[in-house]
Amino acid sequence: MRKAAVLGALLIIGAMLLFAIGKMPAMNSRNAPDKTHVIPRYLEKGEEEGGAKNIVTGVILNYRGYDTMGEVTVIFSALCAVVALLDREKRGLSRSSPDASGVRSSVIVRTVVRFAFPVIVFFAVAYMMLHGEGSPGGGFQGGAILGASVIVFTLAFGLPESTRRMPLKVRIPLESTAIVGFLAMGIIGLAYGVNFLTYLLPGVHGAMAQTVRNLMMTVIEVGIGIGGGVIFISIVFAMMREDKYELQPDVPQP
Amino acid sequence: MPLAFAALCPIWGMWRRKACFPWSLLGVAITSFLVWSLIGKVNASKVVAYNVSGWRPPWGIQIRIDYMGLLMACLITGVGLMLLIYSWRYIVSEIKEERIPYYYTLYLLIFTAMLGFSITSDLFNFFVFMEIFSITSYALVAISGERMALRAAFKYLLMGAISSLTVLFAIAFLYSATGSLNMLDISSRLKSTAYLPVASVALILFIAAFAVKSALFPVHVWLPDAHSIAPSPVSALLSALVIKMGVLGIFRILFTVYGHSFSGLSSTWNSIAGVVAWAAALSIILGSVMAIIQRDLKIMIAYSSVSQIGYILLGITLISTRGMAGGLYNIVAHAMGKACLFLVAGIFIYKHGLRRIENLRGIGRTMPVTAGAFALAALSIVGVPPSAGFVAKWYILWGCFQEGQYAFVIVVLLGSLLSAVYCFRVVYYMFFTGAGRPGVGLDEAPFTMLAPTAILSVGTLFFGIFATLLLPSLNNAARVLLLK
Repeated sequence: MRKAAVLGALLIIGAMLLFAIGKMPAMNSRNAPDKTHVIPRYLEKGEEEGGAKNIVTGVILNYRGYDTMGEVTVIFSALCAVVALLDREKRGLSRSSPDASGVRSSVIVRTVVRFAFPVIVFFAVAYMMLHGEGSPGGGFQGGAILGASVIVFTLAFGLPESTRRMPLKVRIPLESTAIVGFLAMGIIGLAYGVNFLTYLLPGVHGAMAQTVRNLMMTVIEVGIGIGGGVIFISIVFAMMREDKYELQPDVPQP
Repeated sequence: MPLAFAALCPIWGMWRRKACFPWSLLGVAITSFLVWSLIGKVNASKVVAYNVSGWRPPWGIQIRIDYMGLLMACLITGVGLMLLIYSWRYIVSEIKEERIPYYYTLYLLIFTAMLGFSITSDLFNFFVFMEIFSITSYALVAISGERMALRAAFKYLLMGAISSLTVLFAIAFLYSATGSLNMLDISSRLKSTAYLPVASVALILFIAAFAVKSALFPVHVWLPDAHSIAPSPVSALLSALVIKMGVLGIFRILFTVYGHSFSGLSSTWNSIAGVVAWAAALSIILGSVMAIIQRDLKIMIAYSSVSQIGYILLGITLISTRGMAGGLYNIVAHAMGKACLFLVAGIFIYKHGLRRIENLRGIGRTMPVTAGAFALAALSIVGVPPSAGFVAKWYILWGCFQEGQYAFVIVVLLGSLLSAVYCFRVVYYMFFTGAGRPGVGLDEAPFTMLAPTAILSVGTLFFGIFATLLLPSLNNAARVLLLK
């Protein structure tokens, strides 16, 4: 009975959504409202106004930069939520269940990870974050890759090792770099007397304005990248650790 | 042209993660000061607008503080400040020490998100802030880490996540139909849209989603658990402010984005407003009945929130100026009254570990200020003159008569009667039963907990006696909204 009611409700909602999708403007139509209102301006003027060769970056950092700041805050809230519920790890002492099983990962895996790790980090920082405004990529992607590289390291070398290499003292300030980057750049704009998060500063002209704008965007991209990456790392550490496998401070490492 | 306006930005700067009590108090206080300095610059027809990044609305994001937004912002800052002061002593007793910085961080995040939510005029920005205050409120419910708290938070998370997703779908539909994300721009483009069915479905999805957030009757099931299990200042925050965000969402969608006079949409709009009104009426009755049969004080107060939200939404969806003014006034009255009730319940837990109503016998003799604050706030929740709740209910009743909705008249009166039953039962236990324990003198809570409670309860009385401070402008706001 209950299942039938749930199924009925889902069918009604599904039918309603499908009906709406059927009535939506066709996907590839040139005259659809979403292609004739704001998009043309983004596409035509995005490069000179937005200051980024990559239009997507121009939209997310410039036209809708405030939303992106909100998104960064969402990630930061997620971190706070996870940490408030699961607590931080203890440096070098927290272990996950694979660590506690005593089986070490094979030499091949460890060697490959040791060689690949710096390359991955370099790719994340140099190609993704620093090049975000000119080519596909950007802070979020770079941060995800940075986080993934440390996760790979943790899987190969164990949680105690990676928490010892990345102590809380370093990670906690880095976690808020994304938000701080946005705020700092926004306040620079305010100091020049223009609106929050404006990149074109009055009194700076020509090529100089372009440089300043690119620099500000890059600062934000790197902030998002490092902040996002470190937040992912912290969330993973908090979720991997298990209280019952925790080492005692005076017990020597296995 | 929008007025360039920079004063709001420090709000976003304030919640950096140096998370300890004085820092967050400083942040909240500065923010409150800035918000209150806006009073007088905004009225029913005048707004303060600010273009972030300097792009004009259809392209960029605009912050637009209209009357409704300012009302909510003042309420959030006022009540938020009180709750923060209260948390200082209370929270130490309920959560682990290493989690306290994260409590304050989450508190500041939810505070920021609610402010942003009430003043933005961009739909996607609306969604982003909604996500922030949803995520932080799930975490705040669960922060004590007890089993029951985790279960309640998980229930809340399931319903809240579905409703957030529904809002996202609705925004996508609306974007495909209008090509814009700015509320006013959407509103003007909807008048001539060729995609009415899409817009109607989006409207239904929006209202359904925000009904979950504001705990309207059929989807209120998460509220009693979440609000009663959370630490008391958090319960007060959720009950007084966070569910109001759902109300604000319904309000924004119904009146700012869609208007009731659109040619193509008016039938859908009217039937949806009717459904919301009836759901609100059911909430009033069922919330009160459920509150009467509870034995746990906090669960009782939580069910009372369901019924009070019913009053607010009933007032708003009556489509009459008096009703709307009453609904908006009840937002103020309920925020202060309910915050006060939860704080009192928190004081009982802090001092004596008492949760059950029967155990409160004679507590009015040892804690007169606390119990007195409870009684004052309860008067406002019931709607006894001269409290703020009375003014609100009077206007809602007036609205019902204006529209000739006599069924709702009965609902409003019956709801008041039922709430009198559950509130005065507690007051009766506190003051009129149980002989005073001999040799026990006054035994009050610490000052930092007592003062916010007392201020909030006196606030309900103040806004009842000096209702003329707010009512004329509320009436104007309602008139402007309904003429649109």
